[in-house]
Amino acid sequence: MKKKVKSTSSRSNLVGWLLNGPYLIYSVIFFLIPLVWAAWLSLMDWNLMSKNKKFVGLANFKALFSDEKVKAAFINSYRYLLPIVVLCFLCGLVIALLVSKLPDKIKGFVAVLFFIPYLTSGVATSVVVKYFFNYNSVFNTFLREHFDLNINWLTDKRYAFAIMVGIVVWKMSGYYALFILSGIESIGTDVNEACALDGSKGFHKLIHVTLPMIMPTLTTVLVLATGLAFGIYTEPFLLTGGGPNLSTTSWQLEIYNTSFTRFQSGYGAAMAIANAVQIFVTLRIINFFTDKLNRKFGY
Amino acid sequence: MTKKKISFKSVSITTITIILLVISLFPFYYLIVQSFTPWDKVDKVLAPTEFTLRSYEYLIGKGGTSNSTMWVKALFNSFIVAFPTAIISVAVGLAIGYSVSKLKFKGEKTIMNTLLFQMFFPAIILLVPRYMIAKPLANTYAGMIIPMCISIWAIFMYINYFKTIPNEMFEAAKIDGASDLKILWKIALPITKSVTTIVFLSIFMQRWCELMWDMLVAPDIKMQTLNVLISTQFKPMGSFPGPMYAASVILTLPIIILFLCFSKYFKEGISFMLK
Repeated sequence: MKKKVKSTSSRSNLVGWLLNGPYLIYSVIFFLIPLVWAAWLSLMDWNLMSKNKKFVGLANFKALFSDEKVKAAFINSYRYLLPIVVLCFLCGLVIALLVSKLPDKIKGFVAVLFFIPYLTSGVATSVVVKYFFNYNSVFNTFLREHFDLNINWLTDKRYAFAIMVGIVVWKMSGYYALFILSGIESIGTDVNEACALDGSKGFHKLIHVTLPMIMPTLTTVLVLATGLAFGIYTEPFLLTGGGPNLSTTSWQLEIYNTSFTRFQSGYGAAMAIANAVQIFVTLRIINFFTDKLNRKFGY
Repeated sequence: MTKKKISFKSVSITTITIILLVISLFPFYYLIVQSFTPWDKVDKVLAPTEFTLRSYEYLIGKGGTSNSTMWVKALFNSFIVAFPTAIISVAVGLAIGYSVSKLKFKGEKTIMNTLLFQMFFPAIILLVPRYMIAKPLANTYAGMIIPMCISIWAIFMYINYFKTIPNEMFEAAKIDGASDLKILWKIALPITKSVTTIVFLSIFMQRWCELMWDMLVAPDIKMQTLNVLISTQFKPMGSFPGPMYAASVILTLPIIILFLCFSKYFKEGISFMLK
């Protein structure tokens, strides 16, 4: 954006505004107005339907601090974030490394196969998971008969949470693998030849050459996975309803329930703002560290 | 890495790859098998023993108590909502990408600032007010399409892509007297083929899989998308898993087929997304 504008004719101005007009109108109606509205709502006690709104000042924000559900959503964000980012990253890396070693003929095809889980709707996944882990399913019957294990997968805290994380990792790994694969393949043959000359291979090469070379790609993956961990909604909504004991709940789920099923819409708006602040701060912190790391490797 | 003999290394790579592939594709296998399994055996078998279409027939209203048209209507709704959304996202992205990177008009900065500002806020903040604004459009296709039809991500994909294309390509056409719309259609669209494919498919998929907004704005059973209908029918019909599996297959297949058809553009698109 540093290049100075050369010549702006009135014609290109007109065309420019025409081309951008729809977006500008959209962003006023569906972004700017809602944004101001949301800020205003967060100061109100309002039940979504009634005409009466009561101004309560910052009371909604104060209430956030003593709300079990908010606390659970806040903590769960990080409980989801950590395993999801780490596992997505590791699985993506493993898949990418494996695929990059395959013969060129089938490489693309295998990468696409790994990518397929990314294309499934959370609803379809939830249907499979719910029935698969059902008491009478073939899987649970097998566990009971052969290992004498009787596990209530979706009503036990630890297992329910692990299943949520598992679904996300299963779904996203192949997608992130495509990014990492693309990064690995962009490493030039000269680098690979230099490694061969120096006798760097295997794990040593991975740690000292490959990973540093694809640092920007890894940063992208990290940021994408973080955004994803904060957006979890469909799976807990359909499978556990956030339970047991709020162990699988998320911001999205709690905000939706508060605003539209418990009809505390003003309070819901305050929750959404708290969520946005948390996302922003978390991304800043992650940015700070990845910037440092990237600088260390010369990006 | 020339392969003259089958080395231990390549065998182990192949084996691990196959194991991981089996894990990642197992849910699809399970889903498809259960959707063709007789109802008394659903979830009781891992491999197909008998083959029946009963679950699918149930969805079109045969041999069950189900509302005979609601599943078909839901599939139709999903297409009616996802297709225009993807088209509009592409059109808007193309128009803004071209005008911001190539047109040099006065509002360029305003647009960029609006975009960056908007990117900064997660959509969840806007949920309640957007719902209030869209309320007059409740249970209409417009209410489902319009509030979700613009993707900031898509716009940035196009802006960044156009920056990699030399200006000369467009200037030559301008000197020849082509109008901007013609340039967009005849030059910009073909050049951005890989980005357009990836944006179109991604937005289509996202819209197809959207749950929260569609549940809010179109609660009427005649207007529900397939995604929403499965999620609302899935609880009360706990005793009929078969049709749920069949509906899930129908929900999943179109997206996979679409992506497989265009998979050759992926690599280009993904490697571009990293820039």
